[in-house]
Amino acid sequence: MIKFSNVSLIYPNSTTTVLENLNLEIVEGEMVLVIGPTGSGKSSLLRLINGLVPHHTGGILAGDVTVDGTSTQLVKPGGMAHLIGIVGQNPLNGFVTDTVEEELAFGMENLNLPNDVMRKRVEEILDLLSLAPLRNRTIATLSGGEQQRVAIGSALVTHPKVLVLDEPTSALDPIAAEEVLSILQRLVHDLSLTVVIAEHKLERVIQFADRVVYINGQGETKIGSPEQIMVDSPIAPPIVELARALGLHEIGTTVREMRRMTQDLRDKKYQSVEPATTSNNSLRIKIDSLSVSYPGHNAVKNFTANIHGNEIVALMGRNGAGKSSLLKAMAGIAQHAKGSVEVSGINPQSLKGKSRRESIGYIPQEPSDLLYGQSVNLECEQADRDNEVRPGTTAALLEQLVPGVSGHTHPRDLSEGQRLGLALSVILSSNPQVLILDEPTRGLDYQAKRELVSILISFAQSYDKCVVLATHDVELVADLATRVIFIADGEKVADGTTLDVLLSSPAFAPQVAKVMSPHPWLRVRDVTAAIEIS
Amino acid sequence: MKKPSLHPLTWWIWAGLLAIAIIRFQSTVLSLLCVGAVAGLVFWLREDAPWGRSFTWTLKLSLWILMIRTVIGMLIGVPIPGNTVLTLPIVQLPSWMPGIRIGGAVTSERLTSALSEGILICAIILIFGAAASLTSPHRLLRTLPVYIYEFGVSIVIATSALPQLVTSVSRIRQAQLLRGQSSRGFKSWKRIAIPLLEESLARSLDLAAAMDSRGYGISSKRSRYRPIKWSYLDSFVIISAIAVVGVS
Repeated sequence: MIKFSNVSLIYPNSTTTVLENLNLEIVEGEMVLVIGPTGSGKSSLLRLINGLVPHHTGGILAGDVTVDGTSTQLVKPGGMAHLIGIVGQNPLNGFVTDTVEEELAFGMENLNLPNDVMRKRVEEILDLLSLAPLRNRTIATLSGGEQQRVAIGSALVTHPKVLVLDEPTSALDPIAAEEVLSILQRLVHDLSLTVVIAEHKLERVIQFADRVVYINGQGETKIGSPEQIMVDSPIAPPIVELARALGLHEIGTTVREMRRMTQDLRDKKYQSVEPATTSNNSLRIKIDSLSVSYPGHNAVKNFTANIHGNEIVALMGRNGAGKSSLLKAMAGIAQHAKGSVEVSGINPQSLKGKSRRESIGYIPQEPSDLLYGQSVNLECEQADRDNEVRPGTTAALLEQLVPGVSGHTHPRDLSEGQRLGLALSVILSSNPQVLILDEPTRGLDYQAKRELVSILISFAQSYDKCVVLATHDVELVADLATRVIFIADGEKVADGTTLDVLLSSPAFAPQVAKVMSPHPWLRVRDVTAAIEIS
Repeated sequence: MKKPSLHPLTWWIWAGLLAIAIIRFQSTVLSLLCVGAVAGLVFWLREDAPWGRSFTWTLKLSLWILMIRTVIGMLIGVPIPGNTVLTLPIVQLPSWMPGIRIGGAVTSERLTSALSEGILICAIILIFGAAASLTSPHRLLRTLPVYIYEFGVSIVIATSALPQLVTSVSRIRQAQLLRGQSSRGFKSWKRIAIPLLEESLARSLDLAAAMDSRGYGISSKRSRYRPIKWSYLDSFVIISAIAVVGVS
């Protein structure tokens, strides 16, 4: 169906090749997963399939890509529209119309399909993706999962033979992600659709993949079954890390396989590890019956919580549950907030300038919102001046967080992880009492996530500080948080230690916990530690 | 009461006609009345969508323009005789610039002429702001014929840029406030402009790529799913605007 013959790709003004001599044949009805570190060229590989690279982006392409016998060199991306459906990284940027129904029809209108065919297919897709109740809604008002489904629907509606998806679940909560992936799985099996998918969160997708393409960022690629690739891949989901840590001969990619392999391990008796009791630290954030409302709906309802020093609190919940509104209220920028919020005894809304920087650090969903310097160096110098610290402090912090960033680079040219690192070091240079992060792991690979975890843990342990973050990433929460607050529809549903909250709901349990259930272990290191002491 | 749904071109034609009328009337009172009526319409009809907010934004923009325009009109220009309200110090200009002066006596005539000219300009800006607020840019694009494809793409990017800019500005300002930066003054604009520019550029490229890969403009014919129809109400709005132009 898709054939890459001797494909090499290089972008002008770049020293490394993105792909070198790639040969790959994808047959009909296959689901192929593309993995690799951030910035390694996963998106470029996907966009080669319908010719967006190089027709839209420039770059020098050697070799040939053909889809169903048509070469992308001869046809522009538009000419492949009936053959390939493509869903970009950020579906909201790609929507052309504003209501769900019109968006679904857009692709068919371009292909000049007759009206009765369009009406029939729109209904078909609305049913297939359970979008029927949303048909007249404005797309901008839909939740992330719903938008992703609309994007997939509008790619499918022209009956393409190939569907290409770039990080379809990165912005979704675990339940919405599962919905999207199970729909894809069904399409592959029912319609023999060919699916190519790039994703960072391997724990969500690897069990669905027939084959994996690993790109290392220097142009080299490795192709094989998930088990073959996972044996020595530096990028691996927790379930594979677990298999490696336990020294199993085989590698399982699903919870079911891994449970079979670890049967006798789980049957043994283990001493229960007493959780370290935390000493009473000073109260950092005090929230008392807080409500935040927007015209039309209440984002947060009557929320009360106290957060102490040394705590790392994860806010979890479905897309649109009110996590961001709650974080904004803590930072003192939520409009229409009722109730009281105190950060270190002060109402955050009254904080300004330097005193604000010193009490609250906030990283928004788009870390680049904070950055306006022309280069990394200028950005760091600005932060030093603002915070009246010794020149070079911010740059040193950055070097510690993400080593090897050139000071002359423009912040826009940094990778997602590097940009987060820069924003974080700018914020940390003022040494805030409280650090608030909104969805920090979008687009981060496992390596960048590990670094983030170690930075945040050492921050929270120093001088009685606390970290609050909103995230969908269950594995990150298991690694990082000491406490989890679960929110649904603006109300607090659960509040407790990470262990208690994550184990109580199967949808939000990390992979290791699912494999090792009923043992209360969340992380690979919990398992190895428990085995060592017994 | 259900809001009437109009053809997306209606409000733009209507705005063009009203602008012509305002220029022909040259009357401050009528311009102000017109702006009042338009504002009422916008607050009644606009949807809760990103583009719905562009009217409020143009309102702020035109207040700024009015202020700057009045101040400059007071300071620079040919003196108009009349009742002196206050006297500013005169800046000495070289002899080869006769007839122009900076500062000097500010007469009430000069003040009113500066103000009324400013109000005319603002009224025209506001009327187009209202049109942008009342029509979704995407629906507007759908009415364009296929043969101006390339043009259509640039139009959608341009028209969807303004309302999305409004949302992005408020988001970035919020983030900057949190970095402890003040959101006022000239310097803050530089801080907002850079992330804003990057974001809108990235968004436009994404949109163009998405439209291209979904086959926009490949076929010279294009079918219509639930075509947007021209209704009696549309004709009524346009005819009433033509009538206003006729009266002027």
